[in-house]
Amino acid sequence: MSQLQLDKLTKVFTDDDGSDIVAVDGVSIDIEDGEFLVLVGPSGCGKSTTLRMVAGLETVTSGDIRLGDRTITDQKAQERDIAMVFQSYALYPHMTTRENMSFGLEESTDMSTDEIYDRVEQAAELLGIAALLDRKPTELSGGQQQRVALGRAIVREPEVFLMDEPLSNLDAKLRSSMRTELQRIQEDLDTTTMYVTHDQTEAMTMGDRIAVLNDGRLQQVGTPLECYHRPANRFVGGFIGEPSMNFFEMTVEGDRLVSDRLNYPLSAETADAVAGSDRVTLGIRPEDIEIVDRPADDHAFETVVDVVEPRGNENSVYLMFGDQETEENPETFVAIVNGMSRVEAGEPVVAHVPEDAVHLFDADSGDALRNRVLDDLDETEPRV
Amino acid sequence: MSTETDTQTEKQSRFGGLDGYRIALYTVLGLLVLFFLTPIESGLVTSLKTATAVTNTEPYLPPLSGAEFSLENYATAFDALANGVFNSLLFAIPATVVSALFGSFAAYGLTLVDWKYQVPILVLFVAGVFIPYQAVLVPLSRLYSIIDFAALLSFVWALTPLSPEYANLVELAVTHIAYGIPICTVLFRSYYTTMSEEMMEAARLDGASVRRIYRRIVFPLSTPMFAVVLIYQFTQIWNDLLFALVIVATSSSPASPVTLDLAGLGVSMQGQDFGLRMAGAFIAALPTLLVYIAFGDEFAEGVAT
Amino acid sequence: MKEFFERVRRATSGRSADRGAGADGSDPEESDGPAESGAAVTDGGVATGSDRGGTTGDDPGALRRAFDRIDDRLGRDFVESSPFWLPAFLLMGFFVYGAIGWNVLISLTDYRGFGTVDYSQLDFDMYVRAFQSSAVQQAAINTFVLLLGFTIVCLIFGMLLAILLDRRVRYDNSLRLIYLLPMSLSFVVTAQFWLWMYDYSNGIVNQVLGLVGLGPYNFIGNPQLVLGAVIFALVWQYSGYAMVVYLSALRAIPDEHFEAAKVDGASVVRMYWRVIVPQLRSATISAAVVIMVFALKAFDFLYSLVGGYRPPNGADILATLMVREAYQNTNWAYGSAIAVILFMMALAVIGPYLVYQYRNDAL
Repeated sequence: MSQLQLDKLTKVFTDDDGSDIVAVDGVSIDIEDGEFLVLVGPSGCGKSTTLRMVAGLETVTSGDIRLGDRTITDQKAQERDIAMVFQSYALYPHMTTRENMSFGLEESTDMSTDEIYDRVEQAAELLGIAALLDRKPTELSGGQQQRVALGRAIVREPEVFLMDEPLSNLDAKLRSSMRTELQRIQEDLDTTTMYVTHDQTEAMTMGDRIAVLNDGRLQQVGTPLECYHRPANRFVGGFIGEPSMNFFEMTVEGDRLVSDRLNYPLSAETADAVAGSDRVTLGIRPEDIEIVDRPADDHAFETVVDVVEPRGNENSVYLMFGDQETEENPETFVAIVNGMSRVEAGEPVVAHVPEDAVHLFDADSGDALRNRVLDDLDETEPRV
Repeated sequence: MSTETDTQTEKQSRFGGLDGYRIALYTVLGLLVLFFLTPIESGLVTSLKTATAVTNTEPYLPPLSGAEFSLENYATAFDALANGVFNSLLFAIPATVVSALFGSFAAYGLTLVDWKYQVPILVLFVAGVFIPYQAVLVPLSRLYSIIDFAALLSFVWALTPLSPEYANLVELAVTHIAYGIPICTVLFRSYYTTMSEEMMEAARLDGASVRRIYRRIVFPLSTPMFAVVLIYQFTQIWNDLLFALVIVATSSSPASPVTLDLAGLGVSMQGQDFGLRMAGAFIAALPTLLVYIAFGDEFAEGVAT
Repeated sequence: MKEFFERVRRATSGRSADRGAGADGSDPEESDGPAESGAAVTDGGVATGSDRGGTTGDDPGALRRAFDRIDDRLGRDFVESSPFWLPAFLLMGFFVYGAIGWNVLISLTDYRGFGTVDYSQLDFDMYVRAFQSSAVQQAAINTFVLLLGFTIVCLIFGMLLAILLDRRVRYDNSLRLIYLLPMSLSFVVTAQFWLWMYDYSNGIVNQVLGLVGLGPYNFIGNPQLVLGAVIFALVWQYSGYAMVVYLSALRAIPDEHFEAAKVDGASVVRMYWRVIVPQLRSATISAAVVIMVFALKAFDFLYSLVGGYRPPNGADILATLMVREAYQNTNWAYGSAIAVILFMMALAVIGPYLVYQYRNDAL
């Protein structure tokens, strides 16, 4: 078990017509010993390429990968002592579960047959697949194959686990139960883990920390709640969270933000933070918007309910500035309210956008100028 | 496509609407069966007739009376060809196995591993499938006159009842291996490109070397393709005449393969004894026919790739 | 469960310590640069690359570094995978490309009769002689006719067979095997069958033609007919191949295309002509190339037809001419020159095909 360091990792692919495509651009992350790091981003952002470079399946254009005190950048995949779980599971179809799980031990160690037998036996126990050890992959369900793939990785006791969207081929229900189980196993084994997903729910729920990647560049590394409450830029703010953060393009005019529809006064403190920018993006999370009867202060705005999506415990309420009939492009945004509250489409309501909960990003660079106010982020951090 | 009866009848009715269409279709297919089988059937019945019956009876009718029937053609043809059949098996089997192995190795090294310039090398293999062998015959003869297998393998002739002429069969085997490698490589490659890349990567991460991955993953998974390649390649090597003619030269050699003997069978009989010719043809075709009857689907697959 | 991993952890770290010590003792090279040599012993217990040290020679580090440099240039697995493809490549390369080069060289000499080749005087005399020879010109024309006629008829007939078999017939697999059966036979064998089929007095072909009042013809003896007769026999033997290729292409076309055409009200013939046949383009190309190659190998058939180097009048092709000149008349250099001409003809077909496949990433 050791610390995994990515140091300015860069991957440039050369296209067929000779042009270069930068898939991963100077990514540096330190993953602590035993940490569960989730690499998340939209498809094509370079997260899988990053993982494959760590695995040794992809050559590194520049930068370094260090595992513990050795540099593994140029080592072959076979020599890195890293195990990986693939999206397609990639089980060996002609081997039984037991043979699949023994293979890595036979190839990378000189353990005796008995030792390997015991180890596979117990890992299978841990994963609840002991009864399936003599079956071939074609005789297993998707979820069972998933476990075998996992088992194949854990019997080897590698220094690092890499997981490339391992749950994406499972149905929704199985996925959420495997999510919990994967976390439990990782905690039990305490092995440094790098987990790639495009699903921000997986990122939020599973990772000790998450690293958000976009367009080959690292956007932010932090705990899930840090990334949620203190996004480093507009991309992270919009990517993390479901439904995603509402954004409004605004112009800074002294101590207020102005747009066609909104006129949002700022406190002195906030006005200082945005003083350097002309145009900013105001971000507000749907759950932070309150729907009230009448305007309580000048942070409340008259809107009309467009659509209500009931989800039982809560409702997503799509609100609209202006009148759909008369205006060409009405601006909609979403608020989440208690599932019991009665709001109906077409109803005029007042939306309160509390200044404490507002994020402000520079409109050009997207960098966060001001994040929401929290009493103490560290205390809201759940201890897992 | 679906074979369910409902859709089938529905499709039928939509296509023609009447049974006449089906009848016509099956009639045509039946006539085609006749077209493809007649030469073989006619050969078979002729091979079983006496010399007089061959000229006096219809060529497609089987011998109808005991006077017309004779196995003598087969007896004569067998005497003439038995040695050739033995010789052909002697070089065709090892040449088939070795070229299939080489093909599998090469396809693995050019498909499932990672290095540059695989494709240019592969183009050279693919082009090798298509060359007309006439373009290499004279150099081949020169080569085998320079490398004297008969002398190199003198211990073999000393230890076995085989005569030094059998060195020709070693040359034939080497030749067929070399010229069989391209097609075997192409066949295996088409199969290997369908193998899961993630599986190969998983094996790599499991610590297996390139050699071990072949041994433990790729080779065991190649079994169906080996069947295809072995069958196809055996047919090709067994059926070859050109290399046999150039390397062994004459059917009077004790090492002459069966195709050479068969082509010579006509010459010595002045081409008129069709009963004997047909019997010879069937003896020479027997191994490939047996292979085809047993593994026709694999053969078709090898051909279609 | 934790116990198991604790236990395993202890067991493996103990083992790797032993091994590490052993390696240190026996091979000082191993210990001075684990990162560089790639053989790192880790606390996780898996000592990789330990099989490498000491076995590769006096200075394994240097050899390994040299390999690494080659790999850096040519790709990660170049050195490790070369034992797989390199022997096959060298063997094939020598026999195919080496021999073709050698053949070109011989064609530039005056080599004939028995004895050795004199490479000191190279000229194009043989090519001049070949281009002026009426036998070569006639053989080239015959080769061309055979190539084109056989290929086109085979493709059309094969496509029709495939379309018929694709019409949801019963026993389609057995029918496919029957239609493909002749292809499993040797040219030597089929030549015997067709010699009998074409026999002047007893042959079935003449009997069938007699039913409609034609013939009998002397197919093999008549120079006007023999090439057509050979093409017909070859089509019998190889149209099954075209059928198999087309059949797999037809089966890859989604049902929707057939159904869409039906909904549009197209007749069956129009549907095939407008919708299906255009989709068989790449199948046609690859089948055509392979069939042409079969045609180039028609030597075996013609040789067996007469049991000698001299094919029937009117059926001499470059392939038979080349072998006859070289092996009967021992005009080696002349034969080589004819072979080069034949090779160029083949290249004219195969070259564009390979480029096409390469561009489509279909290799």
